Amino acid sequence: MKPLPPTLRENRRYVLARIDPPWFETDSRTLYEALAETVTALYGDTGMARIQPAVISVRPGYAIVRCIRSTEADLLAALAAVNHAGPQKVAIRSLRTSGTLLALRRAIGGAVTPPATETGEARFQGKTYASIRYQIEKVDLFENGFKSQELLFLTAEDLEE
Amino acid sequence: MQCTDACVFPYPGGDSSLRRMALLARELGFDSLVAAGSAGGEAYGVEIVGMKVPGGSKEGEGQPPHCGTGREGRTITVARAGDYNANRALLRSGKVKVLRGIQCTPRNSFDHILSRIAAEKCIAVDIDMSSLTSGGGPLRQRALQRYADIVRLHWRFEFPVTLSSGACSILGMRSPRDMESLGRLFGLEEDEAERALRTVSQLLSPGRPVEVVG
Repeated sequence: MKPLPPTLRENRRYVLARIDPPWFETDSRTLYEALAETVTALYGDTGMARIQPAVISVRPGYAIVRCIRSTEADLLAALAAVNHAGPQKVAIRSLRTSGTLLALRRAIGGAVTPPATETGEARFQGKTYASIRYQIEKVDLFENGFKSQELLFLTAEDLEE
Repeated sequence: MQCTDACVFPYPGGDSSLRRMALLARELGFDSLVAAGSAGGEAYGVEIVGMKVPGGSKEGEGQPPHCGTGREGRTITVARAGDYNANRALLRSGKVKVLRGIQCTPRNSFDHILSRIAAEKCIAVDIDMSSLTSGGGPLRQRALQRYADIVRLHWRFEFPVTLSSGACSILGMRSPRDMESLGRLFGLEEDEAERALRTVSQLLSPGRPVEVVG
């Protein structure tokens, strides 16, 4: 089948979004399911058909999401309302909107690099946690208990106290 | 102080320390945040405004000053909205600066009369985005309805409005851009959202009336 010429194709908008926490590894499918659920909850099936959200690429800590032109405001609201991707609690924060993928990738350049993480152990409030440290200051603590998995977001300064 | 997240709940109320929340707030583009259970101060270049609750409700009371940042800072008095009579008493007293939790109250608990009092006494009504970002279904629908009512009354009576993430975790915090996007869901325009993000600073340092000298 011959592809549609560019002038007949629908115009789209591409959104660069940051995924928090950055150590959370996800794939396009999981992210799409979370986004589709939120778009359907907020705008219904007609809204979903109108916006046509799609996850173009996912890198650790970042994702590029696509929608139909003029629906980007709806997509941004839906991205802000996403709170889970699979079992993990996440936050998706839109950073930049662009008309072409090329322009978006050129604009982000080397800025979008996953932070180097350092794993270890840390003590906080008398308990021992597994820790992930990144961007110098940030420390995320995990307690793997029998009943629950406690997750704490602290800074290096908090641990020193 | 131009852009403020009007309410966050740091550790031990939530799972993120106040410093971590301040660090993220700076990354997201805020220059201040109102934190429950804090006496105020500064962390990572972000001003932390303490939240004072009159009469001592659950919010911001009795929490250890773990997240204190060493320097005594400013505080803002915030009250939790209730039924019509409670809201009227709170607004008439003039002792509070922000009325929050309006989405959890009955629909008739804030009407045109209370809007007028809020405008006269310059008391802000808080719009908590956590109702939209953390839950779905009937809770979110109800919050959207109530916020749309508040925005309509805000247009008519021009009482101040604040925007807050109401976050207990850094994962619940939203950037000003995201708050503006969420605001559109219930009719809050972009410039109104920007103004709402500046409201806390205006409430803390209100402009004096113009004096004619000579």
